[in-house]
Amino acid sequence: MKKAIFPALAILLVMASSFVMFSQEWKVGDNYSIKFDGGDPSGTFSGLKASINFDPSDLGTSKFDATIDVATINTGNGMKNTHAKSEKWFDAAKYPTIQFTSSAISKTATGYEAKGTLTMHGVQKEIVIPFTFENNTFKGTFSVNRLDYNINKEEPNHGGSTFKVDIEVPVTK
Amino acid sequence: MFRKIFLHALAASALAIAAALVYRRIYFFATEIDFSRVASFKNLFSFCLIFCMVAAGINYLCFKFLKNRAEIIYNLILSAVSFALVMLPISISLPLDIKSPELFPGLAVPIVFFPALSWYTLMPLFGGE
Repeated sequence: MKKAIFPALAILLVMASSFVMFSQEWKVGDNYSIKFDGGDPSGTFSGLKASINFDPSDLGTSKFDATIDVATINTGNGMKNTHAKSEKWFDAAKYPTIQFTSSAISKTATGYEAKGTLTMHGVQKEIVIPFTFENNTFKGTFSVNRLDYNINKEEPNHGGSTFKVDIEVPVTK
Repeated sequence: MFRKIFLHALAASALAIAAALVYRRIYFFATEIDFSRVASFKNLFSFCLIFCMVAAGINYLCFKFLKNRAEIIYNLILSAVSFALVMLPISISLPLDIKSPELFPGLAVPIVFFPALSWYTLMPLFGGE
């Protein structure tokens, strides 16, 4: 029995190594950008953490799990940044992150689309994010209506309600 | 008369520009945030020069038409305009690649008062109008 331990360990190590070698886990590069445009305000988020498992030839096992730190919002104006993080808008103290977790990734005519759940301001919504993957860079554009997420519902016309979100994430192995 | 006012405005704008550049440098050392792309020499120069030249025009008109009340009215206008200009750096949206925009008013708000301060500082040298 003891003799079998080392061959078993060797097999286990080979299997683990091959899993690491062939896994399609990607790391987020430094120069990513997450831009939102609602006219006024417009801006960026910078606190992206993501677990990206993406293999174009095996979309069934591909999965995204991304989190953005709400406190990293930048509209270019300090006063607007403070307002955006306040209780009235994102309420960053209570809801510090925005999260997207994919449930299915499929091929489309122009690229791919990720279906999943966007959690923002404590509200979960199913959304579809169309994206492309070229030169180790994910690019996607989609729209978000802040009223769907109960963000300052009292003032639906203050600063626009629908935001175009542009995501560009270079990745490395 | 306008020649003296014009020279006063020119000297005040030069002093305000120098003060703004010195303050920008001190602010950079204190915060390590570089706002020189927004508060550039060109922008500071333009702001101080335009402010002082407009002030010179108002000063000339006040003393030409208001006589006895000219000084108090002119001083009120200069102070009110300086206070109103505080809104400019607070409301401006900076380029998104500039970090910590919340620190920008700390740099720019004092600077909006520099032209008026320079004007008053140099007033004794230019006859007090």
